[in-house]
Amino acid sequence: MFDLDTLMVLIPALPLAAAIVTAIFGKHVFGQRAHLPTVIALIGSFLCSVPVLFEVHRQAAEHGSSLAPEHGGGSHEAGAKSVGWEHTVNLWRWLHVDSVLATPPAAYETGHVAGQPVKLPGSWGTRLPFDIDVTLRADPLTAIMLSMVTFISSLVAIYSIGYMHGDPGYWRFFSYISLFVFSMTMLVSVSNFVLLYVFWEAVGMCSYLLVGFWYEKPAAAAAGKKAFLVNRVGDFGFALGLFLIYVTYGTLNFHDVPGELAGVLGQTRLAAHSLYVGGGVATAIGLLLLVGACGKSAQFPLHVWLPDAMEGPTPVSALIHAATMVTAGVYMVTRCTPLYFQSVVAQDTVAAIGTFTALMAGIIALTQTDLKRVLAYSTISQLGYMFLALGIGTLPGICAGMFHLFTHAFFKALLFLGAGSVMHAMQTIDMRRFGGLRRLMPVTHWTFLFGCLALAGVFPWAGFWSKDAILAAAHSRAHESRLFEILYWSGMVTAFLTALYTFRGYFLTFHGPERVPPEAGHHAHESPPAITIPLTILAVCALGVGAYFEYTHGFVNFLLFTPSLAFTGLPAADVDKFHMDVALVSTAVALSGVGLAAFLYLGDQRQTAWLASTLRPLYNLSYGKFFFDQIYNVAFVWPLWLLAQLSSLVDRWLIDGLVNLVGKIPPACGGVVRTLQTGMVQFYALAMVLGVLVLLAGIFWKS
Amino acid sequence: MDEAALLQNYLIVGALLFGIGLIGLFSRRNMIVMFLAAEMMLQGVSVSFVAWGRYHNDWGGQVLVIFILTVAACEAAIALALVLALYQRSGSLDIAHWHRLREENRPTYIDLEVPEAKDVPAHAWPHLTPAGIEPPIDREEASHRSHV
Repeated sequence: MFDLDTLMVLIPALPLAAAIVTAIFGKHVFGQRAHLPTVIALIGSFLCSVPVLFEVHRQAAEHGSSLAPEHGGGSHEAGAKSVGWEHTVNLWRWLHVDSVLATPPAAYETGHVAGQPVKLPGSWGTRLPFDIDVTLRADPLTAIMLSMVTFISSLVAIYSIGYMHGDPGYWRFFSYISLFVFSMTMLVSVSNFVLLYVFWEAVGMCSYLLVGFWYEKPAAAAAGKKAFLVNRVGDFGFALGLFLIYVTYGTLNFHDVPGELAGVLGQTRLAAHSLYVGGGVATAIGLLLLVGACGKSAQFPLHVWLPDAMEGPTPVSALIHAATMVTAGVYMVTRCTPLYFQSVVAQDTVAAIGTFTALMAGIIALTQTDLKRVLAYSTISQLGYMFLALGIGTLPGICAGMFHLFTHAFFKALLFLGAGSVMHAMQTIDMRRFGGLRRLMPVTHWTFLFGCLALAGVFPWAGFWSKDAILAAAHSRAHESRLFEILYWSGMVTAFLTALYTFRGYFLTFHGPERVPPEAGHHAHESPPAITIPLTILAVCALGVGAYFEYTHGFVNFLLFTPSLAFTGLPAADVDKFHMDVALVSTAVALSGVGLAAFLYLGDQRQTAWLASTLRPLYNLSYGKFFFDQIYNVAFVWPLWLLAQLSSLVDRWLIDGLVNLVGKIPPACGGVVRTLQTGMVQFYALAMVLGVLVLLAGIFWKS
Repeated sequence: MDEAALLQNYLIVGALLFGIGLIGLFSRRNMIVMFLAAEMMLQGVSVSFVAWGRYHNDWGGQVLVIFILTVAACEAAIALALVLALYQRSGSLDIAHWHRLREENRPTYIDLEVPEAKDVPAHAWPHLTPAGIEPPIDREEASHRSHV
């Protein structure tokens, strides 16, 4: 019905339109039906992204190559297949500045080496213009992200109808959600680093608005601010990375634009990997981009905002954790794979940070008493897993990371929405206050169990396949160096911790004697269909997506047509091989985690208390979340607060004093003359006459 | 008469007029009288101009006098309008009344005791037979008017 271009524009345009319509008419026209524009637009977006997925799949298989052969000396065969497959839709030119930058060496060389597919304007030393075109791109990575994001968002929006029912900010909520989805769809479909940055920020802004949605609650307002500020730190690094990319490559486009410099991730560079800059510059680019990804994807030094973001409404948590926010960092690192392959240091850092985050968040999640907080740390831990996979530095690793991102989106959304359903019924999320809900909320219980099994990585749920892929990728390099060996075993330990904390939460919530907190009141029953239907759909996905794509190899084989992953510098490897040995070990690890959780948390929990007192320091470390908040308070918040106080004093006394001093000069001068203003007209006349006399005296004195 | 002596006489008259006007301006508090005094100063200057013009056989002096007359006419219009406005505000022609326009914190003007006026026999003004409708007269205003 529509061509690819129209669909690509429609996918972000529908949520944007819904956001605007809801913002303007939501309160007074739609009222309690304010969800309609959003739900319709998001489902419409999803329906648009499905044909995009199939069309890209068809075109990629026809015209693209998944593993480009290395071009020796830049000889292009006539009619050769492109590197991967991409399709760009140029909408309009957003910005144009003449002669900004002298042609950087890396850009200069592309004109010669690559067999003139891209014409350089002028020669060495020419000043290049700075252009930003609003260009959408369709390639496998984008198509997968788009369909995943719109699918999860649609379900979350439907869920929110039930969850947010009767909230005074109902229309506001749906307006923000639409804007959030618009930002995220644009983030994954734009083909330019600046626009990526713009929507990167837009996503951050929407998360700020939504986390602080109940802004009357001080904790929610503080959490929104924290999310925004911590992201700012990451975005600063990201911005520096973009500057460095620009001065190195002379352009910020992903794709090649005819008549301009070769794009950073365009066909020209991808076809001949010698066109990428290596060495220290590549390391710096990789690390700076990683800082941005750490902020957005809540990795180790900048992970502190994500658990606090639980203060927002639960559907927002599901969106942030599954679809629209934290995946941005993983997406960006995947997109920039060719840049990361120029620097082993950057890659190893990605893997190390990911592994450390995965382990640390897994340990913290073990002792949290708030069900949503357990899930939040589990997200951080799983994102760490993805970074570990991306940092392994092989094609199977990257594919596994993206695969885990994909499956994780389903079951993490499921878990959050399930937790939201529990919260809706119990009016609290503290696991110490309720328990044994499996008979009270059967649908929530079963769907939540599916989510837990998927997260714990139990065969044949989705998490098993993606986690196994990551561990297998890590295993394939474990013999190469001590670092990868540590990474592999840390991954195993994390898998164990994941199973343990997931089932701890599950057992505490749904098993044991039935306990319902008093404030639940008449809410303590199964949630309405608007909540249970999305849960059921997601539960089916949590069971099915992993096995389906593993057996058909559909996901990985399709993903490999992404230009960034069909890059010639990648070591060719067997991407879709199933590793039985790793799978067996990881299954055993996961089952032992589930078993330990059952041993500890089913029954009277005597062992739990004994374990907590035996491992007191470790328990405290975990319960205190490794004291990151306190450390950051002492290291950054307090000094900055002191600086702010100092600045305030300087401003109030020094700057204001100077300004006021200037203001006091005219009245002081005027005060002298004021005394002459007696109000007696005769005196004025006398003064005039005296003045004239003085003048005359002066004149005669001179002559 | 000798030209120089003539000039001197005129200049003396002009200076006298100017001086009387100046003294009147300084010493009187009635706004209209002050205005008249200022006019008198102008006339004194005018006389001097005419005298010098004649002495030097130059029309310039006379031209300036015409000019002064014009300016004085304008000035009279504005001054009388002002006087009227001020009078309507305060109900008095005394310029000391506007002493309150002085700068803040300046000492107030202390009115000196006016010497007792000598008993002057009231004139018997002739009375005209009233005709037509008697206009309504503000009592208070009439009390001021009767002295002007």
